[in-house]
Amino acid sequence: MKETENFQTTLAAAACALLGTTLATRAAADEADKRWAFDSSLLYYGESDDRVQDISAMLSAQRSFGDERTLAATLTADTLTGASASGAIALDTPQTFTSPSGRAVYTTQPGDVPLDDTFLDTRFALNASWTQPLARLYTLSAGLGFSTEYDYTHLGANLSLARDFNKRNTTLSASVAWSQDDVDPVGGAPRPLSQMLDVGNSANKLGSDSKDVLDLLVGLTQVLGRNTVLRVNYSYSDSNGYLNDPYKILSVVDPISGDTVTRVPVGEGPTGVYVYESRPDSRTKQSLNAEVKHAFGARVLHVAYRFMTDDWGIDSSTAEARVRWPIGADSYIEPQLRYYTQNEADFYRASLVNGQALPQYASADFRLGDFDATTVGVKFGHRTASGNEWSTRVEYYQQSGQVPGDQIIGNQARREQYPDLRAVVVQFGYRFGL
Amino acid sequence: MKAVHLLVLGLSLAGCATVQPWERDVLARPEMSLDANPLDAAIDDHIYFSKEGSSGGRGFGGGGCGCN
Repeated sequence: MKETENFQTTLAAAACALLGTTLATRAAADEADKRWAFDSSLLYYGESDDRVQDISAMLSAQRSFGDERTLAATLTADTLTGASASGAIALDTPQTFTSPSGRAVYTTQPGDVPLDDTFLDTRFALNASWTQPLARLYTLSAGLGFSTEYDYTHLGANLSLARDFNKRNTTLSASVAWSQDDVDPVGGAPRPLSQMLDVGNSANKLGSDSKDVLDLLVGLTQVLGRNTVLRVNYSYSDSNGYLNDPYKILSVVDPISGDTVTRVPVGEGPTGVYVYESRPDSRTKQSLNAEVKHAFGARVLHVAYRFMTDDWGIDSSTAEARVRWPIGADSYIEPQLRYYTQNEADFYRASLVNGQALPQYASADFRLGDFDATTVGVKFGHRTASGNEWSTRVEYYQQSGQVPGDQIIGNQARREQYPDLRAVVVQFGYRFGL
Repeated sequence: MKAVHLLVLGLSLAGCATVQPWERDVLARPEMSLDANPLDAAIDDHIYFSKEGSSGGRGFGGGGCGCN
């Protein structure tokens, strides 16, 4: 009986492996004798220097209805606190800023890269999808997504169709996703390139805004041999609407000294001239992603590479490798390595020069800058006697960036302008069936 | 559709030997699935989407967050 079950499970898993498995179908295969399968995760993400801290919980559930029809849903809760870089440059003197709410000020010490420490958010997200065969060799999947946080609401839908060829050694898929996001920033969305004003003055705040995103994806999954499978995806993403980060600013600096132009607040307010960032209201991204899994006996190597390019002038490359190494019959250890590099957006500016005409677009957001990032991690997993699996993953993430040499003015050269970002990720996972 | 058939034919000719259903023992192992750890992938996508200028690639990663 046990052998029959194992055989059925293997057969079902084989069928799913050929279908370019989704979470739902794979889990359905794994848990052929269970109606419900759960995957849960508890995550801590913490940046150094009291920057962003995040605790996140995820619960994913799948119910199979037979005939490879599956319903899957994932619930996520995130709690974020801490400080994040505002975009203003460091100075030798203290700097005072008006907080995003427009009702208070915060001060940065001499030599420190300004961080906005009023960052606090709780986010809930729910994603659900339905997968079923449409005809022989065809699989249809449709999903809905919703997320909400204090200043942001997301609503999305997606549809995917996959077709198997070549004795199910080849799968082609096409997917489309659409989302509509509403942004309601604390204190209102600032008018792009307007100056940061004194506490209580909200003349430059415009209220809420929105954006929509259309994603298209074409994928090819190809079995390359008994031990190897390849997947290549091309994706196209088109965003339109409000694409600024409403909390990011730029320092307006003296053309000779490179120091921020000073300003005398009326009451409480900024001690320098700072303007809110301005990004284009559309962005088109294209990416090519390739990944291979290869089994060396019981060990499994996973390598991936992604190239992305967008019309903001950012090109990026990402390379990833993981090896799943069994320890005994029930456990494994999986070292993970990732390297990422990007160049800066066309409109990335470390600061704006006083007296020069304002550019149409400008942002000092480090995420649009020139940087490399490395992640080193390890995961340990163990399957219990009852067939459930728990795992622990620890990762270290480090970003090192630089301001383009031609953007460094005067005194800026001897100060830290692009501080490294260091973060630790600790994750606990548990998979179980009911 | 013709292009699709040509592509599939091309792949089969390009040395991608057809693996028969009864030879699927290794590919059928759960860890050989390209989406073996969907929650890990979702978490990674979310972190990198929040901290880097790129997103997605594997699927529709990263959306639905005011963090970028």
